[in-house]
Amino acid sequence: MIDPALITNNLIDGVLMGLLYSLVALGLSLVFGLMDIINFAHGDFVMIAAYTTWVIAMMLYVDPSVTAIITVPLFFVIGLAIYKIIIEPILGAEPLIQIAVTVGLGYVLQNLALAYFRAGPRSFPAPWFNYSIQIGPIGIAVSKLIAAAVSLASLFIINYMLVNTKFGLAVRATSANREVAPLMGINVRKVFAITFGLGIALTALGAALYMMWGQTNPYLGQSFSLLSWVIVAMGGLGGVMGVLYSGLIVGVLEALGSTFVSPSARLAVVYLAFFFILWFRPRGLFGRR
Amino acid sequence: MANTHMLELEKVEAGYGQFRVLHGVDMHVDKGEIVALVGPNGAGKTTTLRTILGMTTLYSGDIRYQGRSITKLPTHKRVELGITMVPEGRGLFNYLTVYENLLAGAYTKEAWEKKEETLEWVFQLFPRLKERKNQIAGTLSGGEAQMLAIGRALMSRPKILLMDEPSLGLAPIIVLEVFEIVKKLRDEGVTILLVEQHVKHSLEISDRAYVMEMGRIVMQGPAKELLQSEELKKAYLAL
Ligand SMILES: Nc1ncnc2c1ncn2[C@@H]1O[C@H](COP(=O)(O)OP(=O)(O)OP(=O)(O)O)[C@@H](O)[C@H]1O
Ligand SMILES: [Mg+2]
Repeated sequence: MIDPALITNNLIDGVLMGLLYSLVALGLSLVFGLMDIINFAHGDFVMIAAYTTWVIAMMLYVDPSVTAIITVPLFFVIGLAIYKIIIEPILGAEPLIQIAVTVGLGYVLQNLALAYFRAGPRSFPAPWFNYSIQIGPIGIAVSKLIAAAVSLASLFIINYMLVNTKFGLAVRATSANREVAPLMGINVRKVFAITFGLGIALTALGAALYMMWGQTNPYLGQSFSLLSWVIVAMGGLGGVMGVLYSGLIVGVLEALGSTFVSPSARLAVVYLAFFFILWFRPRGLFGRR
Repeated sequence: MANTHMLELEKVEAGYGQFRVLHGVDMHVDKGEIVALVGPNGAGKTTTLRTILGMTTLYSGDIRYQGRSITKLPTHKRVELGITMVPEGRGLFNYLTVYENLLAGAYTKEAWEKKEETLEWVFQLFPRLKERKNQIAGTLSGGEAQMLAIGRALMSRPKILLMDEPSLGLAPIIVLEVFEIVKKLRDEGVTILLVEQHVKHSLEISDRAYVMEMGRIVMQGPAKELLQSEELKKAYLAL
């Protein structure tokens, strides 16, 4: 018999993690909707950002969450550069070429991390929020609560930006019709670059939040990539809200898998459920077209 | 220079990658004119309009706007100069609202500052769009969608408007409405280069016309004269 308090704890954990996954997946979703490119290295940017966060946190000896002030703008610029150097040349290329290039980029990032930091996990030894709120038998990790709150707020801010600003209009118009957008006077390449940069900046924010309790290793990117693809595929092109809902579903599925099957089989459970959902809804749960 | 045309194409050779479509096109449009570009399917009419906006591969030749060569400018810069197009098949932002489509049309810096005022003008031209302001563009009827495509292009405050088969797929009554709009736009100061299948209608409202076949201009002149030409009558007016 599984303890109901344990289930509740795990479900809460799943919801909190799900919000963080949504934040990380949002950049992938925006870029895919805009440019039809799947960045297979997406999760590896989380990994590199996690190391960057760790280095800065160790240097300044502050909580990893604080490093976001530095890493988010830094990774925005890195994202712009990666777009210019790697992504722009493969726009409109054969899908196979796009896959090869971004998968290759992921391996390069992993190898860089391996060469520089070795395989051992790294984490910040003195986190500020390493305690939990206890309500009877239910405990909520404060660091995860903060991560989830920041993630949720970021999702809403980006949604607001997409719906209410001139740049957001350019992103949505270009996503809707890339061919015609330039006829409005929209500089499509610039929209691509900024959106890609934003997506990479969000991986840095996700990494800073995750490092409040988590540890990084050169392969951290793989699980973030996999979860992000599942979220984007499940969310369809349903915008920020689609990503939010599928992130929550993925987080909860992971928690259920961990509770009822085994913590080491959590990703397998997410996948099985994912296949099952796509069986019935090939365009995703929240797809628009 | 004595007579600078508003828009001028000189020996334009253009196409898609290796595929050459236009073989030395010379044409021009003067301020205040409606100029029709007609010809059979696949002649290169759409390619001509796209080339003016920098959306094809230009192999050689020159395109000048208000006396200045624009061939090096990307599409969005040409739009900033006052050229825009109602694309073939409308090209609406389907899951944005009517209002958002119109706003997107006013994206250039200059147009954005005047967007409220322009919006009023567009709503006056197309009252139906005002009623459907918050409707998703993808759910509009064919006629409404075409009005939106035209209205959206007007939002950029174009000095010259390229229209690619604005009457395509519309009911006969709506087709007439579209031609009325084209005339009205010219009267309000917009210069128009019109590509049309309805050769007779478009020549009737045009000042001059070009006939294109297989990527070459094969006939040109005042629209009234072309309307009388036996050759043209036989080929396009089925008379
Ligand atoms: N994107 C493209 N890539 C390659 N070839 C193209 C492309 N678009 C058009 N073509 C080719 O260019 C030629 C001219 O096409 P274009 O669309 O300019 O003709 P059109 O006069 O507008 O015809 P229609 O009356 O059918 O619209 C055609 O042979 C067409 O197949
Ligand atoms: Mg055409």
